[in-house]
Amino acid sequence: MRRLTRRELALMLGAGAIAGTTRAEGSGPVALPGVVGMAEAKAKLGRPLSREQADRVIAGAMAAAVGAGSGVEAAASIFTPGDTVGIKVNCLAGRSLSPRVELVEALVDLLAGAGVDRRKIIVFERTSRELERAGFTIRRQGPPYRCVGTDNDYDRLPSSSGAIGSCFARIVSTECTALVSFGVVKDHDLSGVSAGMKNWYGVIHNPNKYHQNGCDPFIADVARHPFIRDKLRLTVLDGVVAQCHGGPAYRPGATFELGLVSASTDPVAADLWAWQVIEAERRRRGMPTLEEAGRPVRFLATAAHHGLGVDHPDRLRLVTA
Amino acid sequence: MRIDRRRLVVLGAAGAAGALQPRLLRASAAPKRAPGSAGDDLPAREASWYKKLEEGRVECELCPQKCTVADMERGMCGVRENRGGTYFTLVHGRACAVHVDPIEKKPFFHVMPGEKALSYSTAGCNVECKFCQNWEISQFRPEQVQAYDLPPKALVATAKRTGARLTAATYGEPVVFWEYVRDAAAAANAAGLKPTVVSNGFIQEKALREVAPSLAAIKIDLKSFREEFYEEQVRGTLEPVLKTLQVIRELGVWLEIVVLLIPTLNDSVEEVRDLSQWVRKTLGPDVPVHFTRFHPTYRLTDLPPTPVTTLERSWKIGREAGLNFVYLGNVPSHPGENTTCPGCGEILIRRVGFRVIANNLVNGACPECSRQIPGVWE
Repeated sequence: MRRLTRRELALMLGAGAIAGTTRAEGSGPVALPGVVGMAEAKAKLGRPLSREQADRVIAGAMAAAVGAGSGVEAAASIFTPGDTVGIKVNCLAGRSLSPRVELVEALVDLLAGAGVDRRKIIVFERTSRELERAGFTIRRQGPPYRCVGTDNDYDRLPSSSGAIGSCFARIVSTECTALVSFGVVKDHDLSGVSAGMKNWYGVIHNPNKYHQNGCDPFIADVARHPFIRDKLRLTVLDGVVAQCHGGPAYRPGATFELGLVSASTDPVAADLWAWQVIEAERRRRGMPTLEEAGRPVRFLATAAHHGLGVDHPDRLRLVTA
Repeated sequence: MRIDRRRLVVLGAAGAAGALQPRLLRASAAPKRAPGSAGDDLPAREASWYKKLEEGRVECELCPQKCTVADMERGMCGVRENRGGTYFTLVHGRACAVHVDPIEKKPFFHVMPGEKALSYSTAGCNVECKFCQNWEISQFRPEQVQAYDLPPKALVATAKRTGARLTAATYGEPVVFWEYVRDAAAAANAAGLKPTVVSNGFIQEKALREVAPSLAAIKIDLKSFREEFYEEQVRGTLEPVLKTLQVIRELGVWLEIVVLLIPTLNDSVEEVRDLSQWVRKTLGPDVPVHFTRFHPTYRLTDLPPTPVTTLERSWKIGREAGLNFVYLGNVPSHPGENTTCPGCGEILIRRVGFRVIANNLVNGACPECSRQIPGVWE
């Protein structure tokens, strides 16, 4: 694994690759396979970051992810002012281990700074109750952004992708033109890791059907459904505090202060990084690997096989802010 | 469309008695609440068939999926949740579909012909058939459908009020609400009603043996006689279903079998013959087998309805295998709906769709040759 600075990344990719980080008319969003940007953010479990810290961290990770000069430039290279952006947060574990509100709001501000209409920025989760429990305030119309639960507003009919057949949240299928997975870095009792990709289980009506075989190939099948694959632009992981065991619920003794927030346009690489830091912490504690613990992380290879991103450690490039 | 607007009664009111109105379902006291995940405002009752594992996990011992479930997660059925190391059912007494149907609609053709059955279901299922006819409740979780408090005693009271002499756990998959089935059966028996179940048979033996003896009849959907079909189309396995059929026979509970024939997937001559011969040999010639017609739905919309000729061919194969009672389903007015005496060929019960036109049985026997016809007639 290589650790690069943002400048090194820009030099490596060449100026043209990022093109001043603002999208040219008609060009697609910036996507850098294997690149994960990250920024440091120290805080104790349950303690918020200051808003200034949150702004700095999100901007830093975003800029590092695409080699941009600033967070706003990074956002502008990934999203357009005409986008309706859905930010899917994973709040299953409650306030202790959900994406921090201040980080999500920092991202919202970056998107707005890049020209996205605040009324078209939707922070969402399966239910309003889960959002509230994680500290979010329900805002059905905004301002300063919309924050709503799917609350059973699914497509009328199921659609298939590989082995899955599901009704998708209409926010994802119909309303949004761009998506962000905003997850946490945690262990999962069946899939091994629950970070950015597993988060998409929260947009289908029947996730309980797809936990066999370490959630493989189901996680990849959800992520390669056109509703996700064609709209997913960014994965952000709140690793200020992470959890190396006992997930997906919050397990007090298994959390650790990782002190990092990551951002990536490659959802597979983002989860690969999460996997690596979980394994590193487990090693540090003398715990068995996830595979030895009976939950090998299979879904990343399947996702990579389907072209969703990079799953090989040699191709993972961590870029610091 | 928002799924939480799904109506209480989501299934076609093809039955003669029609659908119950929601007002008939009286809400009981406020549901118990316990902390949990998104469904934590649902009433929860500790499940009866599971074991606790290390680190707060549980293993479900109700169905052959044997889900290992971590804290705050649910099993494949979507209606059982681990809350802090204790496994809960979220659907006990929570009906989302209630109808008064003719018993022929289940279908039971050898159980009290022409009588009404108070039919009920909760959300959830332990498999995922791509051809599920009731997917709008079976493939959803309890918080995603509109449901009402209908505890066992209230269910039985409703049955009596509507003149139903039977109850039927049906529509969705009763295995996933097995505690509710158990308690409703006890209440029904106490009230002189006959409790029945319509199931996929995908259940662990212990749970089956604990509840089946309290039932008057069980209908099992034998979805195929091939493991590949169960794996690819059902996400279950065949072997436990065959075991279920044998246990039901061993327990002496009345059993009927339905086989939904799907073009190209499970309707070959060889498969129907293997199935029929296995039933004849293992369960005996008197277990009714209903070959029913598939209509495209849910995730299997690219196949046509089953040709009637396929059904008729299967009927013939079943009879040639030595089965005494082979029926055709979803083909109203077809002669294959009638019950004929295996002794003399006399038509004993004439049906059109779910309606009994004539019942010529005399004390459960053929009026011509006096042969006793097996079933639950009173």
